[in-house]
Amino acid sequence: MKRECSSISRLLEKYFDQEVTPEERSLVEGHLPDCSACRMALDTMQNLRILIKNPVEEAVEKETFPWVWEKIEKGIQRKERPGLWNFLKSWLDVTPLLKRKILIPAVAAVVIVILITAPLLYKKMSSYPGPSVVEYVESETYNVMVYELETPQVTVIWLFEDPEEESSTS
Amino acid sequence: MDVNEAQLISRCQQGDQEALEEIFNQYHQKLYRIAYGVVRHREEALDIVQEVFIKLFRSIHQFKGKSRFYTYLYRMTMNTAIDHTRKMKKAPSLSMDEEEGFQLSDDADRRPDRILDHKELEARVKWAMDQLSPDQKAALIFREIEGLSYQEIAEATGCSIGTVMSRLHYGRKKVQELLKDYVGRGEVL
Repeated sequence: MKRECSSISRLLEKYFDQEVTPEERSLVEGHLPDCSACRMALDTMQNLRILIKNPVEEAVEKETFPWVWEKIEKGIQRKERPGLWNFLKSWLDVTPLLKRKILIPAVAAVVIVILITAPLLYKKMSSYPGPSVVEYVESETYNVMVYELETPQVTVIWLFEDPEEESSTS
Repeated sequence: MDVNEAQLISRCQQGDQEALEEIFNQYHQKLYRIAYGVVRHREEALDIVQEVFIKLFRSIHQFKGKSRFYTYLYRMTMNTAIDHTRKMKKAPSLSMDEEEGFQLSDDADRRPDRILDHKELEARVKWAMDQLSPDQKAALIFREIEGLSYQEIAEATGCSIGTVMSRLHYGRKKVQELLKDYVGRGEVL
């Protein structure tokens, strides 16, 4: 390799890619006839280009692009008619809300409504807790149990005469 | 951008599929060349071209004309092809028998030993290209296959001309090293 190779080699790739100025081109072309190393470097770049490009060109030449446009048309139509899942997703998607900065106030409003209505609903829906035992009296002959029902105001008294026999009065 | 192309883009932006078909007729071979350069597989390259045109139709309203339309399309194709390669890496790859990446030109080339050489060489080129970073690969494909200038590559990849030159230099160096047995002896497909 000649001494000026170091300066020319910087230009060699640009020369190969046809990106040099006319002055640079003259410099490189003046150098090449006397420098086998730079000529070999150019050949290597050219061989690599052929290796990369030729199979692609051959593939393009033999390709007839069958049905590609029809598939594209079908693909566009499919995307224009979103499926059920996409429809649900679009409903559940909160991104537009986030973009409009209304998600936080909306969530706050929902929480407030829940806090206000929940105790009322709970009160209405709460189940009857069952009778509560007011008193239980044991004796040799009878055992008596007094219950109190909340609604309506009823008192139930159970009288146990015998473990096998039970009667009730109210 | 010429007037016809501007009108085509404008029609396409308004949802005109006939305009998209005209764009398809104009560009499908170029886009196939880029896609094929990345994946080196016929069916996959066709799928990529199809995907690019569907994407284009959905997103063409975003094209504001700041770059040239073909560099916008090339960028979209390259990104789609590279994404496709990433997905395929996760999936099992096809065997070489299923590859259809080349055509034999004459009877001598159809000899079994030549077919094997051809397949092996094509597989080596694909392997060597796959060793590059996506940026280096994109620069090399745009330059070596599509013949874009540094300025056009910079536009299509969204970087400076200096970066393009650097990617080309290191990409070439790496592939030359990996394929030194072939580029050195001047073997071509």
